[in-house]
Amino acid sequence: MTHMKRESWVLIGAMLLGVPLSLAGQGKPLTVTGVRGVTFGAVLPGVPRVVLRTDPANSGQFDIKGPKGGPVLLSFVLPLRMTGPAGALMPIAFGSSDAGFSATQSIGSQVGFDPKQPTTVIFPNNGNVSVFVGATANPGTNQRAGAYTATIILTVTYL
Amino acid sequence: MRSMTKLTLVAAALVLTGTLQAQTNNASITATASVQTPINVVGAQQLSFGNVFPGVNKTIAATDLTNAGRFDVTGQASSPVTISFTLPATLGSAGNTMPIVSYTGVHAQNNAQTGGTAFSPAAGASPSLNASGALWVWVGAQVQPATNQAAGVYTGSITMTVVY
Repeated sequence: MTHMKRESWVLIGAMLLGVPLSLAGQGKPLTVTGVRGVTFGAVLPGVPRVVLRTDPANSGQFDIKGPKGGPVLLSFVLPLRMTGPAGALMPIAFGSSDAGFSATQSIGSQVGFDPKQPTTVIFPNNGNVSVFVGATANPGTNQRAGAYTATIILTVTYL
Repeated sequence: MRSMTKLTLVAAALVLTGTLQAQTNNASITATASVQTPINVVGAQQLSFGNVFPGVNKTIAATDLTNAGRFDVTGQASSPVTISFTLPATLGSAGNTMPIVSYTGVHAQNNAQTGGTAFSPAAGASPSLNASGALWVWVGAQVQPATNQAAGVYTGSITMTVVY
């Protein structure tokens, strides 16, 4: 019984010290970093500008560090419009395959998904992934000239 | 021993719950765009045939800076554009018509046609605005009045459309 007590206390102590015996990988802190914005560059009035998620220079990119081999939910908050000079607005659209998940953090190796729908992905064993984003800017024919911006938010949740 | 086992399980449950509970994080990026100057077209000068005599064709060359029709275009500097036309086949006057049998065009990056390029208005063209964002387009044509063409002032509308 004394032996049992000792084992129990060791187990409790280990747990309270934050040393999960079989869950060390899943205890990895979850971090999300906005690496690169979506850059449309020069846009002409009346001419839609498309940025593909595979565009290495202009697509948006998030890097995520998280659970090794764990399921994770990716969900975006997407803007409908970009805001420009004096409050001028320009529509921005996201297609059903404008987001891409890369388990190797390579823009050349993505699995496309719809950024408008929460999507569950499985992390690789090293726990490092990237998410790429493309979009389309739709300026009107009389779109006011100037700089336009909008914010894209990616929320990542352990499941 | 039984109470100790229960305590162990409770502690384990608490720790496991803490380890596995949903964890959320987020980050944002910015979408940016630089919208260029909208394109603008002005009908700056009418295509003027002047006096026309029955049975005598009259031609105004696109290179005629005084009588050719002219459109002035402004927009984003050095940007390529596409121009197209809606061209009338006849001029009209009080129910009478007079055929326009051909059109000619010139576009240039200055208003003197220096270095200008001839083109067919019926086919359109794809010039570029100059470094200041300007372009000039001239239109000439030939009318073919009948020998019994009714006297009067004949008019028609030429429409030019410009897009980036």
